[in-house]
Amino acid sequence: LPAPSARLPYVPHLPPMALLGKVTATTFALEGPRCVFDGHADASDAVWLAVAFANASATFRNPRSRADVPRYKQLPTARSYMTLETAAAAYSCSAPSPPVLRVGSDTACRDQGRQDPCNGPLPSPGPYRVKFLLMGCRGPKAETRWSEPILLRRAVSPGTIDPVPTRHGSDVVVIASILASLGAVLATAVLGALGAKLRGSLCHQDLGTDAFTRRSYRTHHIPPALPQPVPPGCRCSPPGLCRSSPQPPAPC
Amino acid sequence: MAKSDDCVHILQGLLVFGNVVIGMCGIALTAECIYFVSNPHGLYPLLKATENDINAAAWIGIFVGLALFALSILGIIAVIKASRTLLLVYIILMLITFAFEMASCITAATHRDSLTPSVFLKQMLERYQKSEPANNSNNEFTKTWDELMLQNHCCGVLGPSDWQEYTSAFRLTHNDADYPWPRKCCVLDAQGLPVSLDGCKLGVPGYYNSNGCYDAISGPVNTHAWGVAWFGFAILCWTFCVLLGTMFYWSGIEY
Repeated sequence: LPAPSARLPYVPHLPPMALLGKVTATTFALEGPRCVFDGHADASDAVWLAVAFANASATFRNPRSRADVPRYKQLPTARSYMTLETAAAAYSCSAPSPPVLRVGSDTACRDQGRQDPCNGPLPSPGPYRVKFLLMGCRGPKAETRWSEPILLRRAVSPGTIDPVPTRHGSDVVVIASILASLGAVLATAVLGALGAKLRGSLCHQDLGTDAFTRRSYRTHHIPPALPQPVPPGCRCSPPGLCRSSPQPPAPC
Repeated sequence: MAKSDDCVHILQGLLVFGNVVIGMCGIALTAECIYFVSNPHGLYPLLKATENDINAAAWIGIFVGLALFALSILGIIAVIKASRTLLLVYIILMLITFAFEMASCITAATHRDSLTPSVFLKQMLERYQKSEPANNSNNEFTKTWDELMLQNHCCGVLGPSDWQEYTSAFRLTHNDADYPWPRKCCVLDAQGLPVSLDGCKLGVPGYYNSNGCYDAISGPVNTHAWGVAWFGFAILCWTFCVLLGTMFYWSGIEY
């Protein structure tokens, strides 16, 4: 019987640094398992990533050899697959290893149906659990623990965006109210002036002058004249109704 | 009376001065509105798509400005000649212009208020890269957005995560694994290619543009709307005072 694979305490996880594309709708990123397999790996071994649906991780069985590795195309039925086959030397402490692994970045292999380990995009939001598996010539040699469930992003329809603003800004209210009141004042003033002028022109017979100010008759040194008769129909009370000049009212 | 003559002359002088200011402001309003209508920032396709014609206020402003200029000249002549008929015509035409300018101000202010980020976000998601070859306005829309993102080094309305949080017309033709967000969101080199495509797809800081374009859109739109609304409001306040003075002057003139 092949020796059972060693269980390493390492837990795969998302990269700690701030990356906007850490988790998208069909891909996710993992921190590379640096130094994890040192001491267990030979030069010819390979590190695989096993990806399974979170509820299928318990039933996942490590493949006996490279030929038994579940392929990407089987994911919908087998509920798991293995991918990202990398030489173990790439993750050793002495080598500069890739800091971040992206699961699901290869769209070409999905379409072409190649039989090589395919790192195709994930078909559903998951959640998924992953673990690293060190495979030697005679089968699995070491494995890490399963990761926490990774849930991919779900996009919503833009129809849920409500573009209507909740309330108008105070600026609009200020402008509208002040302008409306100005307009009302102007309209009232025009109507008032026109009305006053109409009533005034009904009272006046003839004054004969066309200048703005020459309306006072009282500064000439002439003998007092007989009082002028009041035109019928014009009561001139209250004072100032027939004239709009600020001078004291002369008799009609 | 000498004193009344002085008062009349002072009032005439004030009214002439008031009309000169109105005339100059009218020219300034026309110039400003022509500038806005000429689409200096290339944002008009975006605004047109929101079915919210903020340009209407600018168009009204152009004609109101010219009307104010013409009426101010009429007003100056009418005040100097102290002719009741001319002044009455002036007052009535000014009131009509006042009403139009009021409409323009309130339109500009209201439309500006309705241009929230959500409006642009929804439009962008529904129309950017929408593949309808027969529809020219969508191509123009896409080109405007591409220009906007290139020139301002921004992505989406609020950020690249707009493309992740919502489905879009872009997502229908570009798969998520290769295009978490459009290529224009990546930092590009001199040839227009992404400096690091993997870095851009992963969202590594420095290889993609992380700000949203809303600030780049709302800046010019705000200037446009407030330029029309508040400048128009200021002109109207001044015009109100001049009109009151003119009416007082008119009512004092006898035939």
